[in-house]
Amino acid sequence: MEEIVKEKILNQLDVSKLDQFITDLKSKPDVAKAVNGPWHSRVEWQGGLKAKAYMRTHTASFDEPEGLGATDSAASAHEHVLSAIGACMMTGFVFQATRRGIKIRNCEIALEGSFGDIKNWAGLSDEGTPGYPEIKAKMYVSAEADKKTLEELWNEAWKRSVVAQTVSRGAKIVPEFEAL
Amino acid sequence: MGSWPRPSWLIEALRRREEGQLSFEEFNAVADDAVLAAVKYQEDAGLDIVSDGEQRRDNFYSFVVEKLDGIKLMTVAQLLDHVNDRASFEETLRALDVPAFAMRSPVAIGEVRKKKDLAGDELGFLKAHTDRRIKIPLPGPYMLTRSSWFPGLSDSAYPSIEDLGSVVSTILREELLALKEAGADFVQFDEPVLSQVVHGAEGAETFMCAALASRKDPTEELEYAEELMNRTVKGIAGIKTGIHVCRGNWSRKEDVLLKGNYGPLLPYLMEMKVDQLVLEFATPRAGELRVFKEYGTDKELGLGVVNPRSSEVESPASIVKRVREATSYFDPAKIYLNPDCGFGTFAERPVNDAETAFAKLRSISLAAKALREEPMELVAG
Repeated sequence: MEEIVKEKILNQLDVSKLDQFITDLKSKPDVAKAVNGPWHSRVEWQGGLKAKAYMRTHTASFDEPEGLGATDSAASAHEHVLSAIGACMMTGFVFQATRRGIKIRNCEIALEGSFGDIKNWAGLSDEGTPGYPEIKAKMYVSAEADKKTLEELWNEAWKRSVVAQTVSRGAKIVPEFEAL
Repeated sequence: MGSWPRPSWLIEALRRREEGQLSFEEFNAVADDAVLAAVKYQEDAGLDIVSDGEQRRDNFYSFVVEKLDGIKLMTVAQLLDHVNDRASFEETLRALDVPAFAMRSPVAIGEVRKKKDLAGDELGFLKAHTDRRIKIPLPGPYMLTRSSWFPGLSDSAYPSIEDLGSVVSTILREELLALKEAGADFVQFDEPVLSQVVHGAEGAETFMCAALASRKDPTEELEYAEELMNRTVKGIAGIKTGIHVCRGNWSRKEDVLLKGNYGPLLPYLMEMKVDQLVLEFATPRAGELRVFKEYGTDKELGLGVVNPRSSEVESPASIVKRVREATSYFDPAKIYLNPDCGFGTFAERPVNDAETAFAKLRSISLAAKALREEPMELVAG
């Protein structure tokens, strides 16, 4: 009995729950609909260039470097974007690896991006883009599988990543406004 | 020579040991075979002085966590929560193209005490299986102190780095005496981090020594390194001691490794009461031998004559040429030939394969033979 329990936990995940989730997605339309969203974040100004985002029961803090007159008490929003892309791709990688029974010893993703033109952000130019025209993401992984299998999983991870695809496909943002 | 590339089955056993699936004794039984193979390579290549290839170690300094209480092996990923300047740390990770989880450092998290001899088991096994002279590499007292004292983790047991340094040098001195009693011929203290002190970017952290960003100015650091070394070795006769300083051995990319000559280090190295300076000289990054010009020394030189990280095998003729240059500054009888550093400093990131490493050792041996046929006495090790 103990052996069975051991086998169901892999990469600190309950494999049976992952399997159940996939089964439900296939067979229960309501589950897919609920997971699809909508998802929410509410961002509150905290003074200066600080902001705090509230998501379900969680929060994330934002600030800007001191060079901008801010207090650098937290990462910038664009750094959170890099992190969100990496974390989302990691989620997909670990999820799929676990489903295939692959034990992961260590996993790390290094991301890097440079602004197209910070002058655009500052309103000094209309040239180029203030955003990252390109983002590099490199995965380092040590796992009990051959390199080819792991590389396939990695390719799947970024192709199917919610955040990576949101960013790379340029999600339409619908701005609304109300002054009080 | 210090480290030798580990076979895949040994790396697998190392992982199982780290995960607690193998006991210390079970792992050592597996490693015995790897040590025998590493020794055979060295003997077949014609080396006069052999090591066990550091086959029982994860790397040249982190293995102490098995032998000391109060020290825990932490990955750089785990240390990220405690690093002073994460931005420079990130910069270094990127420059080296290494994941934070793959780099590990011993960190003092409590009172440090000896649990087992650091290398007594390694020496005992070697003595039973080779009749060559035996070299035991140990982490240097500065390296071990600097890498192990981490603000926020170590200061409850050791308020200052000097408090830990005192304990570390005492432990290493006792180890040196124990190795002497057990019949070791040569103990080499590895201090590669000294290169980082003088040639590393200001404020940049290094994975040889994650806590180095909290260093003082280079002069103070080098004086402290000299003091710790002398506390460790001074007055101990009957066993040869040496200090090894290189510029990093974690990557085959020459441009990510440190560069700069030994000039700024020599005033301190010369004052260390060790018999031999084991230095790299096989790549232009190490600078020229003429830095020794102003030093009259009776120390021996362990001359690095092959690059452990390259695929090309240096010819005996090129090694002979380099040695002849060294004889301008050192008594030929006091020149020993070495690779610049080990071939497998970090278990999971060897810088060469066994076949190439063997060919390089063979070249060293042939060069020594050629030089011995001239009126110079040289030893390959």
